[in-house]
Amino acid sequence: MSRVLFLLREAMTSLRRNILIVAGAVLAVFISLTLALGALVVNEILRLNTIAWQQGVHVIAFLNDEGDSGIPMGAHGDLLAEIQTWDGVKGASYWDKTMAWEEYQELFAGQPELLDIDPTILPASIRIELTDIELHSSIRFRLEQRAGVVRQVATAAESIEQLQSLSNVLNVLGLGMAIVLGVAAVVLIANTIRLAIYARRDEVSIMKLVGASNWFIRVPFLLEGMIEGLIGAALAVFAVWLGTSNLARAGQSFALFRLDVSQVFFFRWGLLFLIFGAAAGVVGSMLGLSKYLRDADGTGPDVPTGF
Amino acid sequence: MIRLDNVTKVYEGGTIAANNVSLDIQKGEFVFLVGASGSGKSTLIRLMLRDEPVTRGKIWVAGKDITTLPKWKIPYLRRSVGTVFQDYKLLPNKTVRENVAFALEVLGRPQSVIGPQVDQVLELVGLEDKAQRYPKQLSGGEQQRVSVARSFVNRPPIMLCDEPTGNLDPKTSVGIMKLLDRINRTGTTIVMATHDHAIVDAMKRRVVALENGKVVRDDETGGYEAAQG
Repeated sequence: MSRVLFLLREAMTSLRRNILIVAGAVLAVFISLTLALGALVVNEILRLNTIAWQQGVHVIAFLNDEGDSGIPMGAHGDLLAEIQTWDGVKGASYWDKTMAWEEYQELFAGQPELLDIDPTILPASIRIELTDIELHSSIRFRLEQRAGVVRQVATAAESIEQLQSLSNVLNVLGLGMAIVLGVAAVVLIANTIRLAIYARRDEVSIMKLVGASNWFIRVPFLLEGMIEGLIGAALAVFAVWLGTSNLARAGQSFALFRLDVSQVFFFRWGLLFLIFGAAAGVVGSMLGLSKYLRDADGTGPDVPTGF
Repeated sequence: MIRLDNVTKVYEGGTIAANNVSLDIQKGEFVFLVGASGSGKSTLIRLMLRDEPVTRGKIWVAGKDITTLPKWKIPYLRRSVGTVFQDYKLLPNKTVRENVAFALEVLGRPQSVIGPQVDQVLELVGLEDKAQRYPKQLSGGEQQRVSVARSFVNRPPIMLCDEPTGNLDPKTSVGIMKLLDRINRTGTTIVMATHDHAIVDAMKRRVVALENGKVVRDDETGGYEAAQG
């Protein structure tokens, strides 16, 4: 027990004594992991929105009014019934002029000047959900064949497809960035530990002189690296969580795009990043220590000094 | 206690620091290694501490062949060998007490053992009233006493001293030698490299003289210089 306390005390003393070097390492881990976690969050936001959009209405067919230009009464109902039988259509619903006006009022509630219109000019529509987003062009084509009833076809599918490919690119980029920045964090910690050892080389040589084992010398430095990694990772998780929370609050009024990420996501990735931070600290310390202890283990280079 | 058997040490570049040295040092002996600068005194001390590997030959310390000792066992050797150097090798940011206790903390001794053992050894070296001072607040002689206390606190059977009086004035040197003599009388084997004539002549202990890495004299109770005639 006294040995554990001694090693912890030594690690804390070293952290306190080399505060600037330690701050540098913590900052390096913080920046690396903030960028990596930030990339993950952006990717998650895109993924959530893609799913949300995929689950919603994919194609909207705006209709000409029944009774106008030779469109018989009941044409809307017939088209709806037909669409519901098409392959690739998961569901279709009819929005009459009243529903269109209600939606319009909701959308432009904050702009009363736009509400001063004749509600009858808003068209009825059929809103279609597809079984597979990739079918949107064939459905669009079939709808456009009904030029008499169908006034215009609108679809969000192209945007969704673009979002999907963007999400795929970001996945690869995010992974690459996380790897590069993770390695950078390890190298920076290794460098910091090497500087810390250099600053304490007399102490280390005296420890060896009085019979300290290599592991006994290593442990305070490993603890030091682990603490640096943990602090850096904790700060990164906190910073990204804070940023995302603020973004989600700011994006609440932005109905088309979700900017919030679940707490479960943060808990899971936060925990992983903390573990990674600690592990990066330990690995960095081991890298920083290995060369020094190999040279200083009594079988180092033969250099004639004051014999 | 210590045996060197045809030990040779050649550094990179071909410098021969120890040339076929054979020595047998008994338990409780006080041995001076004397010779001019570059004669190989410090190299022998470092070889006995396995601070460097031998080029040829064997060294036994406390019955163990340290030339074939695996790396991970070197710390165990050093725990049974106290060391004192000319430059004291104290930790500047630790107090006298902490410096001495450090040697025991490294070995994982509990505080209940460390406290009394440190008190005892500080009393032995006469620094009990300066236990809370830092090395820079002490004179050279006092710093060397702390170094002696640290090397002896673990009660090692062997002490290796490399020019322990090299930085001290004659009066202070006498004080350090009295301390080492006292430790030797407890049964600790002491090997001391020095080029201080007065000390070697006054102590009248075994003297091993080195020249260009070779043992040129081994007197049971000799002086620094070889006896004439």
